[in-house]
Amino acid sequence: MASDPQSAANQRIVEDLVSRLRRRQVVGSRATALETLLVLRQVVSKARFSNIDQLINIIRTVGRRLVEAQPKEHSVGNTVRKVLHHIREEYHTASERPAVETSFSIAKFVLQGQPRKQQTTVPKSETRIPLKENDPDDPDSFARVLKPVLMEAIQDVFDELETVYDNISKNAKDHIHSDEIILTLGMSRTVESFLKAAAHNRNYTVIIAETAPSYGGREMGKSLSSAGISTFLVPDSSIYALMSRVNKVILGAHAILANGGMFATSGSLLAATAAREYSTPVVVCAGQFKLTPLWNLYHEYGALDFGDPSAVLGFDEGDLVEKVDVVNPYYDYVRPDLLDVFITNYGDHPPSSIYRLLKETYDDEDNEL
Amino acid sequence: MAPKSSSGKEKLIGDEDEVLQAVILADSFNKRFRPLTTRKPRCLLPICNAPLLDWTFESLALAGVQEIFVICRSHPQQIKAKIAESRWSKPGSGIKIVPILTAKETFSPGDAMRDIYTRGLVTGDFVLVMGDLVSNIRIDEVVKVHKERRKTNKDAIMTMVVKESGAKHRTRSKADSAVFVVDSETSECLHYQPIMGYPPTTIASVPREILETHPDIEIHNDFIDCSIDICSVEVPSLFQDNFDYLDIRRDFVHGVLTSDLLMKNIYCYVAKDGYAARVQDTKSYESVSKDILSRWTFPLVPDNNHPAGHLYEQRRGNKYIDKDGTVVLARTSAVGNKCLIGSSTEVSDNAQIISSVIGRDCFIGTGTIVDNSYIFSGASIGSGCVIRHSIIGSDVDIKDNTVIEKGSLIGDGVILGPNAHLKAYSRLSKKRAGELPEDDEDEADYADSEEEEVEAAQDSIAVTLGSESNAIVWPSSRPDEDDDDEDDVENVKNQRFMRLGDSASDLAFSDPGSESSEEDEESSDEDSEFETRLGILPNSSATSISLDAPVRSSDAMAESEFQNEVKLSLERAFIEGHSVDNAAVELKTLRMASNVPLSRVREGVVSAIVDRIKIIEGGGIPQRQEIASVISRWGPLINKIGGVDAVETISALQSHCASSERLLLFGQILAALYQDDIVEEHDIREWHRTATSQGQGMPAGIRSENMKKCWEVGSRMIEQFDEQDEEEEDSEDGSEDSEDGSEDSEDGSEDEDDQEDSEDDQDS
Repeated sequence: MASDPQSAANQRIVEDLVSRLRRRQVVGSRATALETLLVLRQVVSKARFSNIDQLINIIRTVGRRLVEAQPKEHSVGNTVRKVLHHIREEYHTASERPAVETSFSIAKFVLQGQPRKQQTTVPKSETRIPLKENDPDDPDSFARVLKPVLMEAIQDVFDELETVYDNISKNAKDHIHSDEIILTLGMSRTVESFLKAAAHNRNYTVIIAETAPSYGGREMGKSLSSAGISTFLVPDSSIYALMSRVNKVILGAHAILANGGMFATSGSLLAATAAREYSTPVVVCAGQFKLTPLWNLYHEYGALDFGDPSAVLGFDEGDLVEKVDVVNPYYDYVRPDLLDVFITNYGDHPPSSIYRLLKETYDDEDNEL
Repeated sequence: MAPKSSSGKEKLIGDEDEVLQAVILADSFNKRFRPLTTRKPRCLLPICNAPLLDWTFESLALAGVQEIFVICRSHPQQIKAKIAESRWSKPGSGIKIVPILTAKETFSPGDAMRDIYTRGLVTGDFVLVMGDLVSNIRIDEVVKVHKERRKTNKDAIMTMVVKESGAKHRTRSKADSAVFVVDSETSECLHYQPIMGYPPTTIASVPREILETHPDIEIHNDFIDCSIDICSVEVPSLFQDNFDYLDIRRDFVHGVLTSDLLMKNIYCYVAKDGYAARVQDTKSYESVSKDILSRWTFPLVPDNNHPAGHLYEQRRGNKYIDKDGTVVLARTSAVGNKCLIGSSTEVSDNAQIISSVIGRDCFIGTGTIVDNSYIFSGASIGSGCVIRHSIIGSDVDIKDNTVIEKGSLIGDGVILGPNAHLKAYSRLSKKRAGELPEDDEDEADYADSEEEEVEAAQDSIAVTLGSESNAIVWPSSRPDEDDDDEDDVENVKNQRFMRLGDSASDLAFSDPGSESSEEDEESSDEDSEFETRLGILPNSSATSISLDAPVRSSDAMAESEFQNEVKLSLERAFIEGHSVDNAAVELKTLRMASNVPLSRVREGVVSAIVDRIKIIEGGGIPQRQEIASVISRWGPLINKIGGVDAVETISALQSHCASSERLLLFGQILAALYQDDIVEEHDIREWHRTATSQGQGMPAGIRSENMKKCWEVGSRMIEQFDEQDEEEEDSEDGSEDSEDGSEDSEDGSEDEDDQEDSEDDQDS
């Protein structure tokens, strides 16, 4: 990047987010996705480029920087990939090249022909000035023409993120039936809004495991019971004992992997395994931004992201601190065969078709940023 | 660029209008890491492969600090260069770092604080940390609490961040800790008593005033002092005013808390969550390293937010291997739990790495065992070596079959071996090259003076360092130098508590060595001192009995010295005719310098004034005039020394008169004091009621007899007061009194007459 003031400003906002990610001052998939998007929007609006490759390069550089800052927070990379995908799409429609995308889309297929945003964007580009790449007379012309469209594309991603909870919980009543007993754990905004939405039409009971050591379950329990749902808070150890009475397990996800597995709050594996024992269906609610082109084939240990031991063992236990190694993972890796369905804002999918959804959401060349 | 970036940061933060400043004292002011620190300041020593200073910066950045002043003393150029090339000086870091080069003569944190004051660096409340801090505590929360407190109480000048730990905690320094007495409700720090590993302290004393004024107190001997202080602007100026403050804790905090002149408060902030510790010695170097590897410092851990920007991959068992794929681990090598291995490092066949940190570009030979050791970057270790509990400097070359026992420190660039065997706690550094490094010459002078000594002493030490070695051996412990007194934290035995790999368990109980007998003597001295103090005190001060028992025998010395000083300074004042105010100021400074309770000063002053009164043969009117003139000239001084406690004044007068030849003047002097309104009627009554004024609780003898006599004089005075209250005046009663008085002595009766006359004068 040149050292003009604009790119310096860009660098500054990128560095700012990088350090906040590194210091874990931004946590939570959606929050990080939103922050990333804000940075990308800023970067695109200020960037100077005369052809699409330059632009993509700029975004990729920024993206790589952000991902390196926090490789465990997958929604950062996912958001970057999504933006890249949209930018390419806009570029293709703008330059009137035949769309690379095939007409068949699994997401559209699942949603049964509901009008998608991509379709509505097509008519927008009708009154368009011809696009000139690498114009030697006016190097900025390309950027000038394309920028408004790009901003719109980013805005689309933004809107999608804003409405993700609503879209997921839209069909909640189809999944939860009256007098069912639902088991969930941890604090997940997606699951919370899903359950609350279902409570409008159905009368059901939720059992929440308190999910040590973060105890997100307690927070969740408070929130759900205040919404008028009959709620039980139970210790994690009783998950298996209660499973025989549970009709459905609803989990949130930290990241959905390409093989249909997922990273989710620690304790999820326990719940999913217990559910398998009783053949209880396991439903995962997650926004599309959690789709991650990652396989975790070797069940990489470090991918689980370990926190500090203080939640498990107090630092004041001087004697023990020396002798005991405490492992406090944030996430569990849940294998695809333990999961039954993913409910996303792109419709409901079995673990086996996640790879396809991924392929449609992102471009292959972005899998490695 | 830098100011712009900080303004950008401000915009992003928005509501934060005040820049949060921090001051890092980037010098250790001690030599615990020698010889590793001969050519490098301690704050640039790597811990978990990142310089300590970077950990400190990151800790502060985590807390939202925007402006950092780094006070550097030794090797300032290196620190400056390091800061300039670090990512903090790049745009977008949001932090402005200003290195401040302080003078070579800055020998203590106190000097550095005075330097901060003279330079006028800080403009508001600031965070004061040491350059060896590793922390993830949200310091901004503490600052908020501090500022909130300042709104209601302007005297809350400082908040110390402490962390609760067990009494036995690897991160808690045994050698340099303290007992904190904290008000449970306000968390005000009421008393601070530093504790050393050696000589061991068994008694903590809590001043009685604290118990009186605070219903709920907590006494903590389990705090890790994180050395994070939120200070107000006044703090540097206080250091300026008190030029003898050296250490922030032992002198400043202790001084402020014990002073009843400053009237400032210091608070504690007990960090419930978060981690903070200082790398203040080689022992804490190890424990902090382990804490980092066990992720207590999260999110400041090798695989997440490594301050030097390295990327590590976390493997099972808290193993961290550099991510760039250049680390070569032989198939038969074993890397145990809690290890960190930097990039481009090669671990050969059958090598064992146990709980160790290995820097970048290192080589570990076949069959070598590295156990709980810290190897800085660029070091190469041959095959068949054993290294236990040691720190190996950068670019060290250890050749085959070398054994390094626990606690050894190997300076940068040393070549060792082959077949060398180092005893435990050896310290090695490289022989100096012919010419001095040119970049900072005076620096080299400073560092080398000690090296020269060491080099000169080489002949006397015979250790096998191997045929190719270029090393010199530092003496295992410095021969007793004259500055090496027991009170100093840096005393040899206490240092053992700070030494890597040294459990110092033999010191914790008793040391059979020659020094211990000396120590026993001293402690018995202490005991007797303790007793005598307890014996004397009730006499001298009837109401505010100070239970401040001396823990160190030097207190007694200081006190007698102090009494002497008081006498001298008052004599000077008497002779040169100073004003009372000037004399009072002099006394105040004296008191602060020698740190004694107020009652002592009062005793001193009273006795000096009494001694000033000449005994005139025959007594009578000339004697009375003499007393009146002295008391009216100097009496007001008694109440100007920093607190008014008339009862104590009388007690002091009594005890002094009882043990001097001016016994007979007691009544007259008391009357004169009463005349000049230095003591009031009710004070005399109160004094009279106290048990000690009657000489109770004292061994029988002349002194207690005299005390009793004085008390009787007092009783008569009180009778007079009673009479005055009842009837306007009655001379008969007065004469009765005088008759009683004649039992004591001839002079005594005269005194009483005089006294009565004066009473009458006053009445009319």
